[in-house]
Order: sequence, then structure tokens, then C-alpha cells
Amino acid sequence: MSGGKGIVPMEKAEIAIVGGGILGTVLAGFLAEGGAQVLLLDDGKGGGSTVNAGSLHVQLQSRFMRMYPDQVPAIERNLHLYPKAVNYWKELEKKLRADFDLKMTGGLMIAENQDQFEFLAGKCEREAELGLDVRMIERRELQGFAPYLGAAVFGAEHCAQEGKVNPLLANMAINKWAVAAGVTVMSETPVRSIGKSASKTGFELAIPSATIKADRVVLAAGGGNRELAAGLGLALPVVSEPLHMNITEPAVPIIGHLVQHADRPITLKQFSSGHVVIGGGWPAHLRQSDKYPTVELASIIGNTTLAQHIVPAVAPLRIIRTWAGINATTDGRPVLGEFSAMPGIYAAVSGDAGYTLGPYSAKILADIILGQPPCEDLSEFSPDVYHAV
Amino acid sequence: MSQTENIDIEFDGRKISARRGETVAAALVNAGILHLSTTPSGAQRGIYCGMGVCQECLVVIDGKPNQRACMAKIDKPVTVQRMSLAGTAPRSNTSAAPITIDDIEVVEPELLIIGAGPGGLSAAVAARKLGVEVTVLDERPVAGGQFYKQITVDSANAYPADNQHLEGARLIDQAVRLGVHIEPDTLIWGGFQSGDYVATNSKKTVCYKPKRTLIATGAYERGHIVPGWTLPGVMTTGAAQTLWRSARRLPAQKVIIAGNGPLNLQLATELTVGGAEVVVLAEAARTFRAGAFADALAMMRTSPDLVLTAADYLRQVKKAGVSTRNNAVLSRIEAVNGQLRAHFINATTRREDTFEVFAADAICLGYGFEPSNELLRALGCAHHYDPRRQELKTTLDEDGKTSIDGIYAIGDCTGLGGARAALSAGEIVGYRAATSLGYGLSTEDQLALSAARKTLARHRNFQDALWRVYAYPRINADLADADTIICRCEEVTVGRVLTEIENDCLSIGEIKRRTRLAMGRCQGRYCGPVLQHMIATYKGEIPNAYSGFAPRPPVKPIAIEDLMPGEKE
Ligand SMILES: Cc1cc2nc3c(=O)[nH]c(=O)nc-3n(C[C@H](O)[C@H](O)[C@H](O)COP(=O)(O)OP(=O)(O)OC[C@H]3O[C@@H](n4cnc5c(N)ncnc54)[C@H](O)[C@@H]3O)c2cc1C
Ligand SMILES: Cc1cc2nc3c(=O)[nH]c(=O)nc-3n(C[C@H](O)[C@H](O)[C@H](O)COP(=O)(O)OP(=O)(O)OC[C@H]3O[C@@H](n4cnc5c(N)ncnc54)[C@H](O)[C@@H]3O)c2cc1C
Ligand code: FES
Repeated sequence: MSGGKGIVPMEKAEIAIVGGGILGTVLAGFLAEGGAQVLLLDDGKGGGSTVNAGSLHVQLQSRFMRMYPDQVPAIERNLHLYPKAVNYWKELEKKLRADFDLKMTGGLMIAENQDQFEFLAGKCEREAELGLDVRMIERRELQGFAPYLGAAVFGAEHCAQEGKVNPLLANMAINKWAVAAGVTVMSETPVRSIGKSASKTGFELAIPSATIKADRVVLAAGGGNRELAAGLGLALPVVSEPLHMNITEPAVPIIGHLVQHADRPITLKQFSSGHVVIGGGWPAHLRQSDKYPTVELASIIGNTTLAQHIVPAVAPLRIIRTWAGINATTDGRPVLGEFSAMPGIYAAVSGDAGYTLGPYSAKILADIILGQPPCEDLSEFSPDVYHAV
Repeated sequence: MSQTENIDIEFDGRKISARRGETVAAALVNAGILHLSTTPSGAQRGIYCGMGVCQECLVVIDGKPNQRACMAKIDKPVTVQRMSLAGTAPRSNTSAAPITIDDIEVVEPELLIIGAGPGGLSAAVAARKLGVEVTVLDERPVAGGQFYKQITVDSANAYPADNQHLEGARLIDQAVRLGVHIEPDTLIWGGFQSGDYVATNSKKTVCYKPKRTLIATGAYERGHIVPGWTLPGVMTTGAAQTLWRSARRLPAQKVIIAGNGPLNLQLATELTVGGAEVVVLAEAARTFRAGAFADALAMMRTSPDLVLTAADYLRQVKKAGVSTRNNAVLSRIEAVNGQLRAHFINATTRREDTFEVFAADAICLGYGFEPSNELLRALGCAHHYDPRRQELKTTLDEDGKTSIDGIYAIGDCTGLGGARAALSAGEIVGYRAATSLGYGLSTEDQLALSAARKTLARHRNFQDALWRVYAYPRINADLADADTIICRCEEVTVGRVLTEIENDCLSIGEIKRRTRLAMGRCQGRYCGPVLQHMIATYKGEIPNAYSGFAPRPPVKPIAIEDLMPGEKE
């Protein structure tokens, strides 16, 4: 985030956005371009957007299907958003005239045996019906198509619409654009609580040693949303999942796709710089003393040795860094919109693979806030379902 | 000692005669090969730190990429290739079954000591004497740490071991005879708050769950960020010293030594004795200013032997006709016609016209140390910044205990203190860790413990006086140009970083994300402390325990295949 030192805090904003991740920042830029006076507040602790792996996911992640079978219907209903979201990344890169290192590599979800292959084949059929560009590839064809895959790989499902961005480059360009569009950024500024203004309409945000007034407030604080909403008497039940990531030293280009596994948590890909990023849902934990997301030995061992099992060429590479971050989602669907119970307060949570969905979710919500004709069926995203419970 | 045994190795098709027991780096440097790797932008790099930290001596050995030439010991003929730091082509490889944490062997020693330098070894001896079951791990091929580096080749006839070697050999021998379990060649690459430590050597990966842990990981040399500091042939004083003290090899025939502190003087003497021409020994401090005499007297009272050794070094350097300069700071290096040319400024006036330009084949830079406190910080042990020494210190009680129960720390990793202080502190910690485990002290042990406390106090006084003699502030990036490299691995320039700072980006993590600084193989060891000081200076503050990068495992790079069980080649 830029800003911070030297910026005189605004006392009053038309729209205050709490949380400067991918969703909050892109939203801020759109709202400012739409003529609103926007204040973006972020505590500087960094959420999913500063730690994520930059995979642009489209096909159903079998990890989620296994972990949360009850969410599959909701995920399937929203599946059409993913290819649109990936396309939207391309549009955004063009619009900003920036380089996100966006590559449409296509993604492979591999199977190690007949059972897994059949599971994928079923998934593939369902996804094709829902309009995704997917197909099954058998071992013999894979040898030419993805020669880096090891002998353990039996076959794979290919999705042509998947790819990757470099989040470091993307975040930097997006922050720059938002500031240029007129967004005032207050970094290193935690919002302690939000309350209704006693006298007039609007809201008051408590930050350290000051209060900020805003006509409207967007909750885009990732894992921080639950508490902020609760303080207003609203329900936004985000679940925080600490996740572990590994990265190796660089190698010549080896891995041409985004690689996942049908039955085990892993995502694997190679950045243009040659580094191989290995993640995909291995657990981290919150440190006891300060709740800071912290890496785990079991995840380093399990995640990286699984990577060399699928792609043997990564075996001699050395792991140079690991890190952890918090993935904050509700029940797998995006939550975007105004709380009926409290007009002026908006929920902003992307669904699973929230970095992929980030810019497109921001666009949907910006249209809602600016009163423009919606590009999606908004009832799917309403936060009211939680309040009703 | 027996006859030198030569082993032929091959470097990019060229045959080179190496000595059994020396490192690949030593053999190559001796053959005049200083360029070992090439950066993504095409710049040449070579041996820099000589101790496994900078990751710039990477070569391909027998087909295995990313090997540190300075840590790879030669015990058979090998084929070595220069490497592109952007990465090499993968070897053909068969896929091995993945493993889980449950497949990792667990070992539960009473006391685990990380680092077999003077601090770690003396603690091991003290604790073992009382009956504690002690395991000492060290990444280096031979125990002894920096101060007690042993000669690893059989060619010592011409230059036999000196007192420093012998003292170390006695300490190692004592530890072994007492039954201390020493495992060299073993890297501890992670410490976790669960109390687990993970170590890997050429045979296996082991998870240690010790009752007590002592961290004694020493220090590494601070970067001297001036134009030209990344050129092949420019290395740390410690790197050159390791070439000589371990392998009896010279960094080059003609050498410039520049820095701050007595280690540079020692190196000048050693290289001169070894037959090199030391063109100039340039010291940043004004060692002969008023007041130095009183400090010298104070040192004489506390450790006369060290003062006499230093006087002896000076005499030898003078006798060999080495020209010395005081108050001279190396300000830039150029490569001209295959030689390195060093420019100096007057430390007081900052003018370049005070000193002549010197030329040589290798330049050794020794401008102070950074504590290797990565494991301690990753574990969450409390630290504080010492503004006088301008470094981070581990917060310890008088027994060497950190803020975390069961974790002790000593020696240079807790703040620079020198080998003698590490020895006495090690003794104290060894005894106290033993008593905390329920082992009793005899009257004799009690006397030894209080004697060690007194000796430690004396060594600290000695160090204080030494630092007053050599007083010189940190240089950071003050002498750099805008296009001078600050992050060697990712080739980030000082100008790039300054632009971010001047745009009010004052978070070290955000600068890292924006510039890629500290994202390379050395994990920010050289750029990190400098950037931390640059930001603090800009803000008008002093650094603190949290203003640097938060270290995370692995504290040094670890190959995925080395995590797998089973014998390796
Ligand atoms: C390790 C990991 C890897 C991932 N990999 C991928 C991937 O490859 N592809 C993909 O699509 N998705 C991935 N994700 C998920 C994705 O990163 C997130 O879903 C996405 O970044 C969420 O964006 P956001 O803007 O909604 O929230 P965040 O990025 O979490 O932003 C919220 C911001 O709000 C701030 N904040 C919180 N509380 C407060 C407060 N009270 N006051 C002020 N500020 C506050 C936080 O510090 C943070 O900066 C990954 C997640 C993790 C953890
Ligand atoms: C290159 C160099 C040369 C030096 N030469 C001299 C000299 O000649 N004279 C002098 O007075 N002082 C010298 N010093 C200063 C020296 O550090 C101290 O005087 C003394 O050696 C400190 O003792 P120690 O036990 O604290 O650490 P060290 O002697 O540095 O020992 C630390 C040991 O820990 C090991 N280690 C570190 N991290 C890990 C890990 N993660 N896993 C496994 N092992 C690990 C290292 O390999 C090393 O052997 C030198 C320092 C350096 C860096
Ligand atoms: S010279 Fe080998 S790692 Fe630095």
C-alpha cells in the first residue's frame, strides 16, 4: 500500500472501504473512477492478496469438493463466474496498461490411477455441461503434452481457461492505478470498530486516535470481516483458514501448466522467473502469541515431496522460502452487496479462489454501489442469507 | 601428516589438480578460476562469503545443480560446471513416492547444540562432563566453527597447524573423547515453536525433539556495498581466510585487504606468510588516534596473549613490506584489463584524492559481522537493538537462557563478542543447561562455573577496548551509486530501493514485494540489514527487533530430494 506517512487523514468520506486486498483495492479504483470520494483503510497486516500463489483457477477444485461436499451445489451455480473472472484479469491488465505476468497456460488436474481418472472424467463431463473448456487426457497423449509429468501420473483433466498472474506485479500496478484514480489510501490503519452515527445518517469508523465519518462503508477486510460485521449486529460468517506455501530456487522453464491433483491438496506452477511455487491447501497455523499465520514442518515435507512425485524435475531444486497466509471465505460463494438490515453497509467477500475472482467481484460490487445495471444475477450474492439465519 | 594426495577434477572440460579434503572452491580459486556462476542479467559471480551463505559459488557437480563450491569437499574425482543462477536444465529423474512427517526419523537428545564453533563445543564439553547426553550439529564439513577452522588437507607439511588450529583440535578431541555426539555436514534448516528442529545431511533428514537446545550459529560478514563489490575476485576477508586456514590456498597472488577490525590484520599476515603479495592493508578506523593507548593497556591487562599475537602480526606485516593505510575506506572497485582496481576515500574528509589507487587480482573486504540469528528469531526468542554496536542482540539472562524456556544461545549469533567470550559463555551455558536437566554440580564444577563467569567478564572488557580501538560506524549503502547492486541475488540496485523509500514506502516487507529484494537464495542476508538501517535512518529512528525481515524456515535452502529417506549418492 502507498500513502501512510505524510497523508493527512480524511475526516469524512463518501465511501470508506475497510481492507486493501485485491477486492477492496480494485473496488476503490472503480468507485473513484465512477466519481465517488473514496477512502481505503488497511491495517497493513496483509491478507490473502499479499501471500497468494497467483493461480487463476477455473475448474472445480477437487479439494473443496471433498472437504465441503455440501457446498458443491453453490460452487457449481457460480462456476460460470470463473472463466469470466479470468477474462476480466486480462481486461484489467490491458486497461491499466500494466504487466501482471499474466499467462494463460491452461491447467492440468492429474490422476494417479483409474479411480481418480474416472472421478475426474465425471467432473469433466459436468463442467463441460456448465460451459467450461475442459477435456480428459490419457497417459499416452500426456507424454507429449506435458512431458515434465512423472511416471506416477495416469492421466489428467485439462482446462484451457486456467492460468496464472504474478500477484506481486499485479498488486503493485493496481495500487498505483487506484491512487491515480483519486483514492485516498490510509495504510497501517486498523479499523477497530464501525458504528452508526449518533446524530446524522452515515457511519463512524474508529481508527487509532481518530474517528472517521463515512456515508457508506464496504467490508472488504477478508478475515477481519466477521468481527467488524458483528460489531454492527450483522452476520458475515467468514472462516479463516491458515495456509502454507513453498517456493524453490529458479530452474529453466520446465512446468508449462498450472498443475493440481485429483485426490490430494497441491497446486504447482513455475513463474517466468523460473521459481516453482508449491502450495494448494496444506495447513499453516496461527501462532499462539500473536495469531500470526505460521508455517508448518509437516506441510513443508508433505507438500514438496508430493510435488516431486508428480514432477520429478523439481526434486533437485532447493526450497528457498516458505510462508503462510489466511484464506478467508464464507460458504464457497461470493458475498457481494448491501445488507438490507443496515443500508449503507456492504459485504465484499470473494468465493473460493478469491484472488482469481477478486477483480470481477469488485466490478460486480462497484456496479451495485454506483447504481449501474448489474452484469450478474445479484440475488446469488446477497449477504442477507446470513443475517436471516 | 601424510603426503598430499592430489585428485584430478574437471571444470568445464579443463583438468584441474585438487587436493583431497579441500573444497571445490579452493581448488578452482587456486587454478585462477574466480568466475563460477552467471546471474540472470549475465553478470559474472564467484566465491564471495566462502562460508555457504551468499549462494554465489553455485556450480553443477557430477550433474547435480545448485551445489555450493565453497562447502563441497573433494574426496573423489568430480566433474564441475559453471552454472547459470537463473537455473539449469533438470536431470532425468525417476519419481519417488511422497512422504509425510511421520516418515521422518525422530531423535530426542537431552541437549541439542546447533553450531560446533568455540561456543557450541565448549558448552558441549561442560554439559557432557556432568553426564548430559549431547548432540552437536554443524553444517560445515569439519567441526571448529570459524575461529577453530581446521586444516582439511594433508599438505600441511609446508605450513603446519598454528596455535589457533591446535587449540581447536584439542577442544574437538576433548568433546569426542567425552562422548559428545558431533555430526558435521549437517544443516539445521528449521526450528519450530513446537520444539522441533529439522536437520538434513547427505544421508537423511532427522527431526530433533531435544529437552534443551543451545543455538551457537556464529556470525557472517556484513556486505560492503560499493560499486564493484559483486565482481568475481572480490570476496570477504573470512572467505580468503578459510581458503588459507583450511586448504592452504591463496585467493590470488596479488591481494588487497580492506576493512575494519583485527581479522584483516591477521589475514594480511597469513597470506604474506603463505607467499601472497598483499598490495595494501587498509583499515577504516584511525587505530592510532589519542586514547588508543589507554585501550591497548586495558586489553593488555585482560588478554595479554591476544595483544602479543596482534603485535606479532603487525611486526610480520611490516617486515614483509606490506603497505598499510589507516583511516582509509574502500569506496569502489573497477575491473580493468583483467585486474581489480580499488579506490579509497579518507574516512574523515570523504575525499578520494588522499590515497592512491591499488590494483590486485583479489580484494578481501572485512567490514564487520552480522549475527546469524535466523533460527533464534524464527523461534520467537526476544531480541533488542544495541545502538552502540549497531546490531541486533539476543536478550539473554546471565546463564545464556533466551526468553523461551529450554532454549539457550551463545557466541556471535547473539551479538558479536569474539571467540574467547564464546568459549567462556559456552562453559557457563553447558553447566546451567545441565543443572536445569537435574544434573548436580560438584564443588569443583561450581568453582569452574564461577571462574568462567569471571573470565567472561574479562573477555567482554577486552572486546570493549578492542572496539574502541577499532571504532568505526556502519557504512550501509553510503558509498553506493544509484546503480550499485544492494541485493546480489535478485540484482536490485540501491537507486531502485531509494526511489521506493523516497515515495514513502517505508515498510521493509512492502519494499521486498515491490522490488524482489531479499527474494533470492541468500534469503536477504546481505541486503536485509542494510535496508533495515536505510529505512531507520530515513525515518530518524533506530532499528528494532521487528524492523528487519522475519526469518522463516528453511533458514538455508534445502533440496526437496534431500528430504526423502534412503541412501543418496
Ligand atoms: C497461501 C494462500 C494462497 C492462495 N492462493 C490462491 C491462488 O493461487 N489463487 C486464488 O485465486 N486465490 C488464492 N488464495 C485466496 C486469495 O488469496 C484470497 O481469497 C483473496 O486474496 C482475498 O482477497 P480480499 O481482498 O477479499 O481479502 P484480503 O486479501 O485478505 O484483504 C483483506 C485486507 O484487509 C485487512 N484488514 C483486515 N481487518 C482489518 C481491519 N479491521 N482494519 C483494516 N484492515 C483490515 C487485511 O490486513 C488485508 O490487507 C490463496 C490464499 C492463501 C492464504
Ligand atoms: C568467515 C569468518 C572468519 C572468522 N575468523 C576469525 C578469526 O580468524 N579470528 C577471530 O578471532 N575471529 C574470527 N571470526 C569471528 C568468529 O565468528 C568468532 O570469533 C568465533 O568463531 C565465534 O564463535 P561461535 O561459536 O559463536 O561461532 P562460529 O565459530 O562462527 O561457529 C558457528 C558454527 O555454527 C554453524 N552453523 C551456523 N548455522 C547453522 C545451521 N543452521 N545448521 C548447522 N550449523 C550451523 C556454522 O557452520 C559454524 O561452524 C570469523 C568469523 C567469520 C564469519
Ligand atoms: S561463496 Fe559459497 S556460498 Fe558464498
